[in-house]
Amino acid sequence: MEKILTKQTFPQWIEKLKSYTIYAPVKDEGHWSYEILEDAASISPEYPNAVESPKKIIFPQREILFDFGSQENTGVAVNENLPAEQPTVIFGVRPCDAKALTLTDKVFSGDFEDPYYWKRRNAAVLVGLACNTPPSPNCFCLSVNGSPFSKEGLDVLLTDLGDAYFVEVLTEKGEQLVGAAGNLFSDTPDKTKSEVKKLRTEAEKKITRQVKDADRIPAKLKEIFDEPFWEDEALGCIRCGICTYLCPTCHCFDINDEVASNSPLKGKRVRTWDNCQFPDFTMHSSGHNPRPDKASRLRQRISHKYNYFVELYNEYQCTGCGRCIDKCPVGIDIIEVLNKVNEYGA
Amino acid sequence: MEHNEYIPKPAKLISIKEEVGGARAIKTFRTQFIDEHSFSHQCGQCAMLSVFGKGEAMISISSSPLQKDYHQFSILKTGRVTSALHEMVEGDTIGIRGPYGNHFPIDEWKGKNLVFIGGGIGLAPIWSVLQTALGKKEDYGELTLFYGSRTSKDQVFREELKELKKKMTVHLSVDVEEPGWQEFVGFVPANIKDKAPNPENTITVTCGPPIMIKFAILALQEFGFKDEQLYTTVENKMKCGIGKCGRCNIGPHYVCKDGPVYSWAELKNLPQEY
Amino acid sequence: MVNIEDLKREAKHLLDQGKVKYIIGYKKGTHGILAAPFFIKTPEEVDDLVWDPTCVHNLTRFLDDEKKKKARQKEPDQRPVGIIVKGCDSRAINVLLQEEFIKREDVYLIGISCENTGVLDEKKLAEKTNGRQVEKVEFAEEDNFVILTDEGKMEIPAREILAERCIECKTNTPVVKDVLFGEDIVRSVAGDFKSLEEIEALSGEERWAFWKKHLDKCIRCYACRSVCPMCYCEECVVDTINFAVTADTSAKEKAQKIKWIEKSPVLSENFVYHMVRAMHLAGRCVDCGECERVCPVDIPIRLLNKKMEKEAKELFDYDVGLDHDRPSLVASFRDEDPEDFIR
Repeated sequence: MEKILTKQTFPQWIEKLKSYTIYAPVKDEGHWSYEILEDAASISPEYPNAVESPKKIIFPQREILFDFGSQENTGVAVNENLPAEQPTVIFGVRPCDAKALTLTDKVFSGDFEDPYYWKRRNAAVLVGLACNTPPSPNCFCLSVNGSPFSKEGLDVLLTDLGDAYFVEVLTEKGEQLVGAAGNLFSDTPDKTKSEVKKLRTEAEKKITRQVKDADRIPAKLKEIFDEPFWEDEALGCIRCGICTYLCPTCHCFDINDEVASNSPLKGKRVRTWDNCQFPDFTMHSSGHNPRPDKASRLRQRISHKYNYFVELYNEYQCTGCGRCIDKCPVGIDIIEVLNKVNEYGA
Repeated sequence: MEHNEYIPKPAKLISIKEEVGGARAIKTFRTQFIDEHSFSHQCGQCAMLSVFGKGEAMISISSSPLQKDYHQFSILKTGRVTSALHEMVEGDTIGIRGPYGNHFPIDEWKGKNLVFIGGGIGLAPIWSVLQTALGKKEDYGELTLFYGSRTSKDQVFREELKELKKKMTVHLSVDVEEPGWQEFVGFVPANIKDKAPNPENTITVTCGPPIMIKFAILALQEFGFKDEQLYTTVENKMKCGIGKCGRCNIGPHYVCKDGPVYSWAELKNLPQEY
Repeated sequence: MVNIEDLKREAKHLLDQGKVKYIIGYKKGTHGILAAPFFIKTPEEVDDLVWDPTCVHNLTRFLDDEKKKKARQKEPDQRPVGIIVKGCDSRAINVLLQEEFIKREDVYLIGISCENTGVLDEKKLAEKTNGRQVEKVEFAEEDNFVILTDEGKMEIPAREILAERCIECKTNTPVVKDVLFGEDIVRSVAGDFKSLEEIEALSGEERWAFWKKHLDKCIRCYACRSVCPMCYCEECVVDTINFAVTADTSAKEKAQKIKWIEKSPVLSENFVYHMVRAMHLAGRCVDCGECERVCPVDIPIRLLNKKMEKEAKELFDYDVGLDHDRPSLVASFRDEDPEDFIR
């Protein structure tokens, strides 16, 4: 279904979505982040992309898995703490970030479905905003089977036409959302489609950064696993966690007990994001560390995204959002690293 | 209510036995679930044990699946969770989730000779498969165990080993000379070379410290064992146990889910990152 | 002004003669505006060396990596590492020397004077260029920066886009060096600790609200710690494991490692992390500003460290990193020091 919604009536649509928790990108002192929207008027399409992707809404950096405490008969009582299935709309999701969630879906499915993830995921409706202008100079979605106008993983895709949005309703969830204020949406004039197509072509032209021959990389990564290449590439790495914490596809986590009282025992088992760039991520309690240096950890980050994930799911675990490049304190550039991987030894 | 794999099931410690004392203490714990709970494992699988307030640790199940009355775990005191376990007393409650991982393909090994090779606490993962083979002795050929420890005091299952000698061939070793020691002195790979096992129709199962595994496999290869005949187990730091938290991987394999049991034919083709 | 060709000649000479094992300098980044750290092993690579206002990084941070690497080597190369230091970076060297983390002979210091300018603030530059793609930024006459963009050349006073710390910098020329490029001049700075004025004027409640808001955003990526040349501790309070653990470390020692801070990025834990870091940097932070620059969520971390620097100045008349022969702030006591409980 395709519709037109004028920007003037956009806030009225939001008003109709009272039963949902609404997240949208909000700017505070130059910093864009997804926040719960308190005022429909404050929603703005004029944003590049949030520093942290909507991953943090579906898969929060910290969540309580269960509470535990002393109990007479069994010794310990465990109380599951699943999130409520609160219908949620996330506005302004960039196509790369929506695709990223489809990749994380694969990780949290399979033999062991992750109920915490899926409670939030199933209750969320993703309203995308096509990138008429690439949000970052380091966008490279075109190299990894993405596009600034990709619909993958979205329920609704909005395209900014200046004074109105072109609204593509992509799923049943999307239909419900639009249906909540159906009268605000009008039919699409014939010329709109060609206009959108033109916008898309222009947007794609503006993406200048490119991973060459990405399809050759998985095999190449296998080939150069033991090469000194990694040590050279990682020289500047300071082993911080920016690249992976900001990555919309990184999903690694830690589980720890946080204790409020020892006697009687009372505490929480908590899941938090973790980071393959931290030395303690893989360190055994014996002190042995299978990935003891930053070279092996950089290799893990790149190989996971461009080799292991491809082997498991036949997709890159990278959507080309460019965040890890934008924010790396020392200029480590995944596009450059990948292109060098391809050229290595050639 | 849907299934939540992260929730451990409460279990009582029904017996605790001190195997080894000192700085590298080992204790064997037997557990029983408090509520009715179906937990049937296969040889080589692991379980995630919780000490509430301290956290979780992945431990291999050392009892045989044939043993229905309890589950057994032999645990080296090495970090926060295992130290807390060593402080616990009979009757205390822990949490258990699992079983996790793959298992030794013992059904495929029927009719073959089995050589078990263990070092230190590495006897624990072997114990389950060894006991199972012993329990169905008629299904297998000759059974042999190589087991080495730093000193005789560091041996696990000391009494059980004495009993075992009546039922199968057992080659023990200690790393360095000590008074009263009648058997082999030296590392496990040296003991293997000394006893020269025959590769014909034989499967080997090696568990122990990474360095011992490496040299044991080299020693076996010298006798003509093929990669497909060499089985081992791998351990890595784990948190979720279900292939999601991302830290125990060896290349695309998650040891918690796709391991811990590997034949050398498989393992040699993975990145050597464990 | 620094002549880059002179700098390259020196770098080539050092490598040719084998006087250093490698040189840590700057190269053009592969993307964006900023330069990137550059590890130069051969004279041929020197051609890619750059010096311009985008060379913001404090390269002394990499001496920690070098030290660890050397400790692992059986027969390490004992030659010094050549390292390019700006004024602020050179003060970091002095602190590392004071603390005996490095020895003077471990480093060959290629000093560069920032003269009357300094390095730029990427965000300030972005406001000036307003969407235009920046290809290059260069030092120019009269304390201006020349900015080459895809739409042509702009020349603006450096002061308008300088990094905040450069505006307050009093050591624009390195205080310790083996060789100096650029003019050895002392510039005057209007008003010490000016950056603190705004926050100090706030009431206690307002300050609490300010830090609560900012520290609530922290994602605990530890980039501030990781980029800091002073955060070289083998064991940091935030790490779950003591990295000094070996096969011989007893289970008891490991189990007794206190968990000072939970991994959860919640306000209480974030506060503890940032306060501990600020305290540990008192009298040690040289205000290179790297922690604040790298923060992905824009926490004004520099204010915390600047405040500690001010306290050290006002209470103990202590300037950080000016002289490596002086004892460090926390390792010295003088009769005139205000707190006498320690006597």
